[in-house]
Amino acid sequence: VTLSEGARAGIGRELGMLDSLLSFGGLVLLRDSVEWEGRSLLKALVKKSALCGEQVHILGCEVSEEEFREGFDSDINNRLVYHDFFRDPLNWSKTEEALPGGPLGALRAICKRTDPGPITIALDSLSWLLLHLPCTTLCQALHAVSHQDSCPGDSFPVGKVSVLGLLHEELHGPGPVGALSSLAQTEVTLGGTKGQASAHILCRRPRQRPTDQTQWFSIFPDFSLDLQEGPSVESQPYSDPHIPPVDPTTHLTFNLHLSKKEREAKDSLILPFQFSSEKQQALLRPRPGQATSHIFYEPDAYDDLDQEDPDDDLDI
Amino acid sequence: MAAVATCGSGAGTTGSAVATASKSNVTSFQRRGPRASGTNDSGPRLVSIAGTRPSVRNGQLLVSTGLPALDQLLGGGLAIGTVLLIEEDKYNIYSPLLFKCFLAEGIVNGHTLLVASAKEDPANILQELPAPLLDDNSKKEFDEDVYNHKTPESNIKMKIAWRYQLLPKMEIGPVSSRFGHYYDASKRIPQELIEASNWHGFFLPEKISSTLKVEPCSLTPGYIKLLQFIQNIIYEERFDGSNPQKKQRNVLRIGIQNLGSPLWGDDICCAENGSNSHSLTKFLYVLRGLLRTSLSACIITMPTHLIQNKAIIARITNLSDTVIGLESFIGSERETNPLYKDYHGLIHIRQIPRLNNLICDESDVKDLAFKLKRKLFTIERLHLPPDLSDTVSRSSKQDLAESTKRLGPGCGMMAGGKKHLDF
Repeated sequence: VTLSEGARAGIGRELGMLDSLLSFGGLVLLRDSVEWEGRSLLKALVKKSALCGEQVHILGCEVSEEEFREGFDSDINNRLVYHDFFRDPLNWSKTEEALPGGPLGALRAICKRTDPGPITIALDSLSWLLLHLPCTTLCQALHAVSHQDSCPGDSFPVGKVSVLGLLHEELHGPGPVGALSSLAQTEVTLGGTKGQASAHILCRRPRQRPTDQTQWFSIFPDFSLDLQEGPSVESQPYSDPHIPPVDPTTHLTFNLHLSKKEREAKDSLILPFQFSSEKQQALLRPRPGQATSHIFYEPDAYDDLDQEDPDDDLDI
Repeated sequence: MAAVATCGSGAGTTGSAVATASKSNVTSFQRRGPRASGTNDSGPRLVSIAGTRPSVRNGQLLVSTGLPALDQLLGGGLAIGTVLLIEEDKYNIYSPLLFKCFLAEGIVNGHTLLVASAKEDPANILQELPAPLLDDNSKKEFDEDVYNHKTPESNIKMKIAWRYQLLPKMEIGPVSSRFGHYYDASKRIPQELIEASNWHGFFLPEKISSTLKVEPCSLTPGYIKLLQFIQNIIYEERFDGSNPQKKQRNVLRIGIQNLGSPLWGDDICCAENGSNSHSLTKFLYVLRGLLRTSLSACIITMPTHLIQNKAIIARITNLSDTVIGLESFIGSERETNPLYKDYHGLIHIRQIPRLNNLICDESDVKDLAFKLKRKLFTIERLHLPPDLSDTVSRSSKQDLAESTKRLGPGCGMMAGGKKHLDF
């Protein structure tokens, strides 16, 4: 039983990194662009966490509440807690249902809750918050919210908090995007080719290597996720099928490879700098073959073959 | 020791240099006159604080950084009163390890610690410190580990160029049990060591109330609070020598994590010309002033890859004493490059200070790489093997040309420029 469960979990881990984004907790950054929009993925993830029974809070700043709730069934709509900052962002109407402190105040109020269940907060969108608030304040608030479960100071255990933030990459420079991605535990960048959307997921565990995966997906009209295999992989462009790869080691006049016997002989060869005992014996033993060495010399026309030593006349 | 004693008795009492040699195991020559560490005691007595030793080159008092290989690169250790700045790698995996080794070295030597962070609670940071390898058995185990890793390869490769296998991968200076320990990154430090140590923590979200009003000041409030905290600790625990202590002096080790990130309230990582872009540079200036007047050493990790304005990085480098950059291969194209397959990243030593000296203590090896094995973090000279195949792309040759540029004046004009010359 355990083996199949483990195998299933392994396969599930491979295909379902997009599915299990919310199970890791922390800040999940959804980076989208004009070509590949991310709000439908955000709504799909919101629907999935609502179906899992978690508490879901939405901070709606960019689109109206009706537009966000469009496409969800009524039971999911009843489970979502919607904080509306689109209709009256500066609180000019001063109604009693206005939340003090703006979006950040709402975030902190969500986190001061007392029930220990897991909670998902969807920020629609982080770009709006970045444009209206200083980046450092936003980063500090997000860090405080997403790390609340690791704080041991509370008297009751707090469930894990997942914060889903939608970020439009083209609206910001590399600075704020870099700062937010260094804070995020998971970063999903949307892209795709030829009408099919893909999500490049980068998962940063603390003190571990980051893992990344590309997952092709599409979203149904009722905002459920459909994971796909991806478009067919084209053949590699640089290996031309008409010309087979040439092996340069064929048709050589010299031998580049060693046979097994040759390799053994090579390994057992004693190199000249290695002083072994046989060499020592060979040097110490008197050479028996000395008598068999001769020197053959052909005298030149200008050579003096006088055998006398010219220094004999010197009288020193 | 016996030879020194007989020599001392023979020379009489004028040899104070020789007499103090018995206390010092580093050098038998001692400079007379005002001490570099500035004690007020009478006579040229060596300041004997646990875990410190005087530098053999200029007499500066040094503490270990926790990694003996890094100590060797910095000329023996980190000088007291200076700042070690570590530029973090992109995914912040290896720089926390250096940070923790520094703190663990402080606990093992009995120094006082001050840990400041805006991201994690300092108590949690201390729980995750690596365990020291204290006894000789562990040291042998470490040596065997290194040896086993090296021998099979070296036996195969070095049949003809056999002299090269006698060269050390990295020179490790003398590691006595009082200075410089090895740490096991897979184990945690024992709890009793943490409890026996004296430490102070600074966790920014606790110290600053979460209000949005910011006083118009040149330093961000987080930095002001941190500086005040450090100054209080230095003054209360008498690290600045304001009150001559009767008990043993001690060193304060300060560790500041992720300085400059948006969690500290500083926006140099977010904007190119922020409202308080001088905040961090002023902080470093004031911090160095505090350190110079006290017996403390500081390590700072900073995510410089996020800083948008490159001029600020240059200013920060100038304002720190020792600067080391970590570049990990994760996510870059170098990860699959076979030249770097044994290593996890490169270490760049960007600056070494000139303390009471005209020249600085740089080592002649500038081509360094690190790897994190299961237990140990090692720094080695990056050996670039010759590329023997025709299929190695030209881009890797550019890499080689870059690193040979830094090899020193011996290479001359050939290594200059980006083009790799083939003969």
